[in-house]
Amino acid sequence: MCPDSELRVLVVDDHPIWRHSVAAGLEEAGCVVAGTAGDGAQALRVAAATRPGVVLLDLNLPDMSGAEVTRRLLAADPGLRVLILSASGERQDVLDAMTAGATGYLVKSAQFSELLAAVRSAAAGEAVFTPGLAGLVLGEYRRLAAGATPGTGAGTAGTGGPGRPADPARPRLTERETEVLRLVAKGMTYPEIAALLVLSPRTVQNHVQNTLIKLQLHNKAQLVRYALEQGLE
Amino acid sequence: MAEQMWRVVAVFRVLALAYAAVLITRDHGNYAHPAAGWLALAVMAVWSVITIAAYSRPRGRQTWLICADVAVAAGLVLSTRLIEPASQISAGAPTIPSFWAVSSVLACAVAGGPIGGLGGASVIIAADIAERQALPQATLSNIVLVLIAGGVGGYIVQLGLRAEAAADRAARLEASIAERERIARGIHDSVLQVLALVATRGRELGGEAAELARLAGEQESALRSLVSGAAVPPPEGGQLDLAGLLEPLGGSRVTVSCPAGAVLLADAPATALAAAAGEALDNVRRHAGGDAQAWVLVEDDGTAVTVSVRDNGLGFTDGRLAEAEAAGRLGVAQSIKGRLRDVGGTACLRSSPGQGTEVELRVPRL
Repeated sequence: MCPDSELRVLVVDDHPIWRHSVAAGLEEAGCVVAGTAGDGAQALRVAAATRPGVVLLDLNLPDMSGAEVTRRLLAADPGLRVLILSASGERQDVLDAMTAGATGYLVKSAQFSELLAAVRSAAAGEAVFTPGLAGLVLGEYRRLAAGATPGTGAGTAGTGGPGRPADPARPRLTERETEVLRLVAKGMTYPEIAALLVLSPRTVQNHVQNTLIKLQLHNKAQLVRYALEQGLE
Repeated sequence: MAEQMWRVVAVFRVLALAYAAVLITRDHGNYAHPAAGWLALAVMAVWSVITIAAYSRPRGRQTWLICADVAVAAGLVLSTRLIEPASQISAGAPTIPSFWAVSSVLACAVAGGPIGGLGGASVIIAADIAERQALPQATLSNIVLVLIAGGVGGYIVQLGLRAEAAADRAARLEASIAERERIARGIHDSVLQVLALVATRGRELGGEAAELARLAGEQESALRSLVSGAAVPPPEGGQLDLAGLLEPLGGSRVTVSCPAGAVLLADAPATALAAAAGEALDNVRRHAGGDAQAWVLVEDDGTAVTVSVRDNGLGFTDGRLAEAEAAGRLGVAQSIKGRLRDVGGTACLRSSPGQGTEVELRVPRL
């Protein structure tokens, strides 16, 4: 975890009161607010000019989707960490932004101390996994498993049965990863999960992070495949 | 729609008047009273001007005027008997007004639907039969045509008006939904965020501010479920979105986690799961201790839908089940189990001291 004085944060939110209050709170806590932006286009410009370490990104922007902003921010600076902040009721938008490469997701009703902790974790490159995000990721793996081999049963897909061979690009959760994600979604902390499963907290965190990385790689591969199919470079 | 129909009636009346004029001009040499033939044509022309002018405005479409219209047409049909020689009439010669009489039937159809149209048609047909005192083939065909004009014409007008009313309702509904969404977006962008902010910062300040923060947080989640509830589409084909039912249960003490997409279930199991989860959360509030947090996880693995409700409250051992029963806790567990059994599902309860309680509700997909 880097010291806060080197932690440069860009706050992106279309609501000025929220934006300024969060920026003030971050500065009080010792972070450097690299800039603020009220929409996606401005966020991309300010990020290019100020090169922050973490972008605190509201999903409800007037000009582009959170996934779009995340993708473009990371295309310009792959080392950037994007932390999604959203009001509830935007589950698909949150999932899209996460698979587009965001590092974490917090609801806006989270306490400021949680927000600060999340910014620090994101800066350190750790996925910020709330129970809500775990629920979304679990759901997404189930959707991928159900959509790819209808009727043949997801459990036998890996053995390459008589029908279509399993799509190697389709990510799957290991049993352990499923177990860990379910516990995160039910509100257990990493140390609690580690104690329950007799693992180290570090291992628990690696399992959780892997589930997200696999989805992000899959998403990137899908985009590349789509681009090739459309004849784009 | 109604305006266009009245215009059609006016156009028909003018064309039919022209046709009647052609017939009278051609046949007046054979009339018993040629002058009366011209007089009848003049009456038709004057009456056409009067009705077209009156029917062009909604206020002119009075029932008495439409009845008078039918009476004038029937009178002209009957006047044929005085003008033409009887031999021609029974041979099936056209009546003096000919098709002009049908324009009054059309007026009845537009004003009164199929009933009005058929009513007007019967009057004209009765006049026709009375005038001829016979039923030659040509007259029979004309009778059928007049009935079709009155009945089918009226029916089509009615259908058209209903379709127009339905389209109007749909447009109004769409406008009101769009307006509601616009308001929801506005609330989402301003009020909700400020309430969330007050809740967040107030909680950190502590003391009295924390109490205000709690209130702001409660109002935020209430308002949020109200606005997002307005955006939830109505159930499709008897299916309900379980995620949509459970999300409003979330708040400062309760986190609800769902898949990104809708979790569609038939009405009964979806309602049973939501009600059971609500009961489990009530139970957490009452028994798990003041600081207890709860998490609701919705999973859909294609073969079953599972809702887990976990809290980090006091928990209890199996040995304390009797005690729990005395405290009313087991009663709730039995009620939850009953709800699930009714829809072919299961509920299981796990708890250990200091580790909280977990209720797992499961309904298989058929």
